[in-house]
Amino acid sequence: MGDAEAAKALNGLLIGIMQKVYHNNGEVTDQLLREQLYPEVPQDAFTALHDKMKHLLKSIASADMDHAQLEAFLTAQTRKQGSGGVTAEQAAVLSRFWKSQRPRIRESLLAQSRWEPGLRGLSWRVDLQTAASRGDAAHGGLVALVELELGRTGQDSEFVCLEFDEARVNQMLKKMADIQDSIDRISQRA
Amino acid sequence: MASSHAKDTSFLGSRIPQEVESMSKNLKDVDQETFRKILKAVVSALEGKDCREVMKAVAESSTISQERLSHIIAGMYRVLSEAIRIPTASLRQEAFKEDLRELRIPEDFITDFASVVFGNRRAVLEAATSQNDPHLPTIEDFKWRVDVAISTSSLARALQPSVLMQIKLSDGSFHRFEVPVSKFQELRYNVALILKEMNDLEKRSILKIQD
Repeated sequence: MGDAEAAKALNGLLIGIMQKVYHNNGEVTDQLLREQLYPEVPQDAFTALHDKMKHLLKSIASADMDHAQLEAFLTAQTRKQGSGGVTAEQAAVLSRFWKSQRPRIRESLLAQSRWEPGLRGLSWRVDLQTAASRGDAAHGGLVALVELELGRTGQDSEFVCLEFDEARVNQMLKKMADIQDSIDRISQRA
Repeated sequence: MASSHAKDTSFLGSRIPQEVESMSKNLKDVDQETFRKILKAVVSALEGKDCREVMKAVAESSTISQERLSHIIAGMYRVLSEAIRIPTASLRQEAFKEDLRELRIPEDFITDFASVVFGNRRAVLEAATSQNDPHLPTIEDFKWRVDVAISTSSLARALQPSVLMQIKLSDGSFHRFEVPVSKFQELRYNVALILKEMNDLEKRSILKIQD
């Protein structure tokens, strides 16, 4: 296997591990990864490589390493003697991989510790009430209809439909400003 | 109803509701004081108030039989609720009075009916009856909390703020959900957009729909 090919295969392996471990993609199995990426490598050697990469990725991901931390970590790994270490080429692949996938893996790890249903999306429309079975349009006014999409990770969404008049939308916007202030204060402190 | 062929349809529809007809029959020799008492009670019922006590007092103090009283109340309720759901632009006071005259309702009572439908109670009645229109639930209570996850079982250093929101709706249900900061920005942006849209629409003449 040439250097370029080896790098490509390793990158494939890392993506496979990420799919399996962080994105709960059940279709990606160890067997599939071996058949697709390392068909000529014996099972033992493949398992060793797979487990090593999985372990390294776990260390990098759980510490959410930034660039400097990653470089220091990988340098230490390349200096390790024997089968525990990684080659400089492998370290380069790991570094590139982490740079491109860090936000997605971080998001997935954060989601693993989120137990309340999350807000997935919202859609809205503004209606003008013109007539009804009782009462006429004179007092109808504008109504905002809002649909919130809520759901737990891995579960189907639940939809909550709400109605707001203008005063209520205004109130809601004020609360949003309060929340924003609160978030900003935290971010400044950090 | 032969009388309704002579002109445009009555505000009560081409077929006069039965409770209105029997009200008309039962209103004969009711004195105006009693009529006004009943009318007041019916108006407060339309406004959504509890009027059981008032009705009881009316029934006890008047000489009209319980049965006649119920016919009168039902008819009044129907006349008023039908009249109020038609915009004043479509139902002129004169036409309203004329329709009631055709039902042979005494002129003094007609004046009282008209003062409810076209008087200053109208706005209150409209607002109260609109409560009965089909509605989606509204937010009654909104509580929030901003959390920062410091460390989790899968992430040693998370330091990620998120907003926990809890809403109580007018239908009595509760919803609690977490909003990541990026989603929160989206939410806030959309709420601002809704308000802007509403303000813009109000400025435009679209609201002045006339019939």
